[in-house]
Parts: sequence; structure tokens; C-alpha cells
Amino acid sequence: MAAPSPRSHLYRLLLILVVFGAGFLAVKQWATPDSWNYEHWYRGDAVVEAAAQPLVYGGNDSCKTCHKDVAKLWRKKPHRKVACETCHGPIVDHAKAGKKTAVAFIDKTRAQCLNCHLEGINRPRAFPQFSKQGEIGKLVPKHKELDAVTPCAKCHEAHDPRP
Amino acid sequence: MNKPLENRPQSSRPVIDAGGDDARREFLRNFLAGTATATVLMVFGPGVAALAQGGSDSAPAGASGKAAPKHQFAYVINVNNCIGCGNCVRACKRENQVPSAVFRTWVERYVVTGEGMYVESPNGALEGFSQVNAGIREKATKSFTVPKMCNHCENPPCVQVCPVGATFKTKEGFVLVDPEHCLGCAYCVQACPYGARFINPVTHKSDKCTWCYHRVKNGKLPACVTVCPNKARLFGDLNDPESEVTQIFKDEAWMVLKPGMHTDPTCFYVGMPREVV
Amino acid sequence: MELPGDALLNYVFPNNVHVAWSVMIVIYPYITGLIAGAFVVSGLSHVFKVKEFEPIANFALIAAFCFGLFAATPLLVHLGQPQRALEIYFTPHLTSAMSIFGYVYSGYLLLLMIEIWLIYREYFVRKAGEDTGVMKLIWTVLTLGVTTYHPDSAKLDRKLAVILAGIGIPWAFILHGYVGFVFGSVKAIAWWATPLQPVIFLLSAIVSGMAIVLVMYSFIKWRRGERLDQPMVKKFSAFLWGIFILDVTMELLEVAFAAYEKGWHWSQIKPLLLGPLFETYVIGQLLVLSVVPFVILGYVVLSGVKGRLMLILANVAASFLLLQVLFMRFNVVVGGQLISKSERGFVEFHWEPFSKEGPLTAIVLFSAPFVAYYIISRFIPILGHDDDSSVAR
Repeated sequence: MAAPSPRSHLYRLLLILVVFGAGFLAVKQWATPDSWNYEHWYRGDAVVEAAAQPLVYGGNDSCKTCHKDVAKLWRKKPHRKVACETCHGPIVDHAKAGKKTAVAFIDKTRAQCLNCHLEGINRPRAFPQFSKQGEIGKLVPKHKELDAVTPCAKCHEAHDPRP
Repeated sequence: MNKPLENRPQSSRPVIDAGGDDARREFLRNFLAGTATATVLMVFGPGVAALAQGGSDSAPAGASGKAAPKHQFAYVINVNNCIGCGNCVRACKRENQVPSAVFRTWVERYVVTGEGMYVESPNGALEGFSQVNAGIREKATKSFTVPKMCNHCENPPCVQVCPVGATFKTKEGFVLVDPEHCLGCAYCVQACPYGARFINPVTHKSDKCTWCYHRVKNGKLPACVTVCPNKARLFGDLNDPESEVTQIFKDEAWMVLKPGMHTDPTCFYVGMPREVV
Repeated sequence: MELPGDALLNYVFPNNVHVAWSVMIVIYPYITGLIAGAFVVSGLSHVFKVKEFEPIANFALIAAFCFGLFAATPLLVHLGQPQRALEIYFTPHLTSAMSIFGYVYSGYLLLLMIEIWLIYREYFVRKAGEDTGVMKLIWTVLTLGVTTYHPDSAKLDRKLAVILAGIGIPWAFILHGYVGFVFGSVKAIAWWATPLQPVIFLLSAIVSGMAIVLVMYSFIKWRRGERLDQPMVKKFSAFLWGIFILDVTMELLEVAFAAYEKGWHWSQIKPLLLGPLFETYVIGQLLVLSVVPFVILGYVVLSGVKGRLMLILANVAASFLLLQVLFMRFNVVVGGQLISKSERGFVEFHWEPFSKEGPLTAIVLFSAPFVAYYIISRFIPILGHDDDSSVAR
């Protein structure tokens, strides 16, 4: 056999590099998700998966299917803007597949109302606000007769809270 | 920044005619796209036939930016209506199982005085705000609360910097994270000028507001919009002339956060005081 | 503490409470920088034929390789999903400055390996003939089975090694300049966002890499009880001094520019530098760690100082420079994140010594290249002995 070429070690190196490179490309092809969107560079299935996240809040429509009467009352004023789940919590805690699973949440104390209606300098002027217990009565003369704990709901129907 | 709404889609997605400047630009664009495609084909091997097509004009149906998408969603925050109750923050936490100490949305309270301002967001306003103490109250010249969240930018820096394509913008305007592909490198967290992104301490992946993609796709509003009691948060389709967000633009001046960052948010603020950053 | 944006209360965005890139991302560019710097030393000899550096050219090359082996480990520890790290090779998102890291880094490592292989091939061939058993097998594998050393190959290998060194210098610059680009291109963070960032990272990389080569060289020679090559150290100090001057000029230029411009950048940076970064930046990085080595190296280069004193001074200065660059990495990486994007407050940095990404991990990772060097040096002659001419070239 003739003496090896002075370049034989380089040929072997090149062969190794080519084999590794080809192997890498094969692995890369295998490892890239099938649904890969090459134009916008993301995994296409991610969108489908994101849309499949379970719902927690159902929105008013899901409440109305059962609570037509309350919905009617609520439609009047001025709490029309407030969704059922704002005060009652998410529907998943109350019903599943159209069937009641637990009593809907409601905090009947004053805290529930004051969460929005407690007076605060950061709140818009026109928004109805009431001061904390003991100071009640600033705006409404009748409130002066109240003690510190009587719930607002004693006199006001929360779904239609007009005086 | 107060540009008319109609300009937005055109300015960010130029419709290219032949001739003049645009032809040059298109040539350059195609040239660059071609170079990039060639590089990608060379370096990254097979499976990129779709890209080669997408780079030219014969885009696969429904995947190109040329065909106007059916929906173009936008979010409007009306600062005048925010009462700082924190219902949105709580609903978001619940809807999306957001761990404590990180926030997909939060509310800030500003109390402006002659000497400077007090800005705070205690626990993201998860429990709303306590009353301002009497001393500061006396000095206050104005006070308001501002909801914050992902701005779902037209030019999202987070999407640009993601090294693996684990975050992207959909045709309809949602900027989403792919939790099955995210490395958790946090480069997107750095790139977001709005502090909207965080590394989820439970999943160790990047996380942020999705505009409740799963809800919108099911015909619902985002959870925060659903529970907002005073219409401070609105969400809708700009392609729908009847939607609340479209209506807002007719008679209200809107702003975006940090316009100098040129991210072109699609979360618009109405009645935003100049103190808001 | 002065707060930006007329704030009376330190306000950071609720998601900004933690520093997302901490100690791991401080030592990642530090180690990467050491590769670039060490490679430059070997390049100065191989490509630019700086005679004095010839005895340490291979040593610097091996050192660069050892740092290269571990440059990516801090990133891996930092990732929330390290098992997905290879995605950067599979789906690199080319709009991201970070996406080509995988390719640039492994390409560079490959280049280093091939260059080292070409230089040491003669040695491998010789050992494959001498040794027996497992070692013979290992040496034979390293020769790729070509166990005779063709005289024509020597010339060819040398030529190729020089070409690789020539490619390696710009490649090292890209590798590290690009690390600076990753930071400099983040417009949301005022302290990072400057086009000077890649230049600063690159120059400081060369400074730290040269400094570590000098310190390692001196340490090894001292442990062996051998003489240090004085003309080399002198020349080395001159190069180090010059590049360090360039480096600090760029660092100061960045701040001076922002200060003079008085724009948005300065409104954020000024309270940062005078507040949370005062100790580590103004006092640490600038006043102590830049001025002292500048003066010492200046003395070494300009005066006629010789002998032991010169060697000690050069090494003290190099050690200061190693710290200077480490401080610089910290001040940039962590410092930038201390400015909350609320623009009305500063984030507090916690060292968390024993956390996954804490200083303890950093020490372990930073020790690894030295352990690797020690192991490699058991098998191949890296730094020639005084009475030894067996090292290739």
C-alpha cells in the first residue's frame, strides 16, 4: 500500500464533520414540532392549545339561562353595568354543564358594597361613594340613623339598588 | 401620540403598490426575504418549503398578512371610569391561575401633589386600595387609578427577542406565549417596556396577559372586562363598527403607554393623565 | 435616595420586584469574554506574529478552549426549562439577537477544537506509537487513525492553523460583540440601550481574557518554580494597558454622552449611578478598579522597572482588571434591571447565596474551566518547561 496522503487526516476530519452535520440536520428536522409555522415562526398547535384553556367565568349569558327573573330586575338600573360574577364569583363555583353544584357566593356584609362604593380620592367624583362605618350619612340623611354594621342590603336590593 | 385609528393598519402593515419608492422597498424586502430564506434553507435544512413560499407572494391561504384578518381586536382602558376596586385583578388571577406575587394585570393608584407623586400598587391592587392618609390627602391635587396589562403591541419587542419562537402575534392581534416551547430565558421579560411579562414562579415559563384568548375564542369577553363594574375596561373588534371599542374612537382622544418605545400598542387608554408611565 | 419621575415613593412595577437575570447572567458574559480575550493572545502570536507571545500562544489557546467548554453552563442553569435548551438549534428565531447564540458558540468551539487538534496532532501521533493499552486507543482515536506523521502534513497543518486563527479572531469578536448586542439592543432598559454596548463588551472581554492568561501563566510558572519570561510579561502589559485604555474610554464615553445629552437615558441612569450602583460602579468599577491598574500598568510599561517587582506589579494590575471586568458585567447586567420600568423606582437586588442561580453556583461553574485545564495539562504539554522543547512549536 502506498504511503497515506499528507491530507488524509483532513479528509477524515471532513468526513466526521459531514456525518455530524447531516446527523444534526436530521435531528433538527425530527425535533421541530410538526405544526411549526415557518412564516411567522411559532408552533401552530400553540394557538389551538391556548384556546382550549378551560373557562372559569361564564359571563352574564351563562347566568341568565337559569336566573331569568334576576336578570330582568338587574337590567333596570343602575347596576346594569355590573356583571353577575363581579359580586357572585365565577360560575364554575356554582354550576357545571347547566347544573347547580353549589350555592353561589355572596358576601352580604357591608364590605361587599364598600369594595366599590367606599369613598376614596382616587375614585371618579360622579361615582356614588359612601364613607366608612360611623361616618355614614354624609350624603344621605337617612344613613345617619344607621349603626356601624347594618348591611346595605337590608334596605337596598343589590340588583336594583335605587333608594 | 394621537393618530387617527384608520391610519393604524396601513402604517404598520404597508400595502405595497408597484412603482416609486414602494417598488424599491418591495425589491429590498423580497431581496432580504430571499437571502434569509436561502440562509435558512442552507443552514436549517428541509421542511422549509413552506417558508420559501411564504416569503414570496403566494402565501398559503389564511397565513399571510396580506389578506385582512376577520377580526382585529383591541382593548380600551377608560381611566375616567376606573374606581380601583381590584375586581379585574382578582378575576384574572382566578381565570388564569396566576400565582401570587406576579400579575397579568394590575392597577396603579396615583396621588399627585405639588411636591411630587405617590404611585403604588399594593399586591397589584388584588385587594383594591386602602384609603389615602389624611396628610397626603390634604396635599393631593388629583388622584386616579390606572389598570395596566400587556399592550399586545403591533411591534412587540418580546416577540422579536424570543430566541426560539415561543411567543408570537396572531393575525387577530393577540400576543401569546407557547408554554410548551418556552425556555424560560426571560429575554422577553427584559424587552417588554411595560413590565407586563414575568417568569411564572410555578411553571418557570414566561407568562403574561393573553386577553383571555380562550374566552374570546369561545365568544366571551376577557375575564377582567367581564367583571369590571364601571366600564373602565372594554374589549372588542375594530372591524365591527358596532363594537364598544370602535365607538370609543369616534369621540374620544386616546393615548398609548410609552409611545416613545414605538411598540404601537393595541391597548388604548382614554382619559389618561400625563403622569402615567 | 433620589428617585426618578418626581416619585415620592419607590414604585416598581409589580412584576419587576425580582431581578430576572442575576448572577448566572453576570458570569456568562464574563466567561465568554475570557474565551475571546485568551484567543486574542494566541491570535497575536499565530496571526500577527508578535514574537514575545509565541511561548504562550498554545497555552492561551487551550485556556480559551477550557473557558469555552463551560461558557454556556450558566445559561443552562439560568433557564427555567433547561431541558429545552437545544430548541435554540432547532427553531432559532432569527429576529432575536439571542437566537444565533447556539450556532455562533458551537461553531467557535469547533474551530477551537480543530485548531488545537492541528497543533497537537504530531504529539498525538507520537503518543499513539509510544503508549499502550487504553491510552494508546485514546491517542489513536485522536489521530483519527492516521498514525504516521507525513512531513508534508506539518506544513499544511501549520498553514491551516494560522488560517483558523485568522478566522477565529473575528469570530471571537462576533461571539462577544454579540453578547453586548443582546444587551445593547434592549430599548426598554435605559442603562443597556446603547450601540456602544457591543464595543464595550468586546474590549472588556479582551482585557479580562488577557489578564487571566497572564495570571494563570504566572501562577503555573510560580508553582513549577520556574522563571517567568520577563520580556513577554512586559510586552503583555503594554498590550493590556493599551486595550484597557480603549475599554475604559468607551465605558466613560457611554456615560458622558448620556450625561451631556440629558435625555430620557440620563433621567434614568443618573439616579441609578448615584443611588443603587454608587458603590459598585462609581467607587468599585471606576475609582478603584480602573484607576489603580491604569496607574500600575502605566508604570510597568513606561518605567524601566524590571525583575520580581515588575512581575508582581503586572500580576496585581491584571488581578484588578479581572475584578474590574467582573464588576462591569455586574453593573451592566444587574444594574440595568434595577431601574424599574415604572421609571419611578429601583428594584432591590438580593444575592441569595445558596439559590440555584446564586454566587455559590457561580463559584462552582467558574472553577470548572480551571479543573478542565488541569486535567488537560496532565495529558498534553501546554506550557513549555524551561528545559523542554517538546511542545509543538
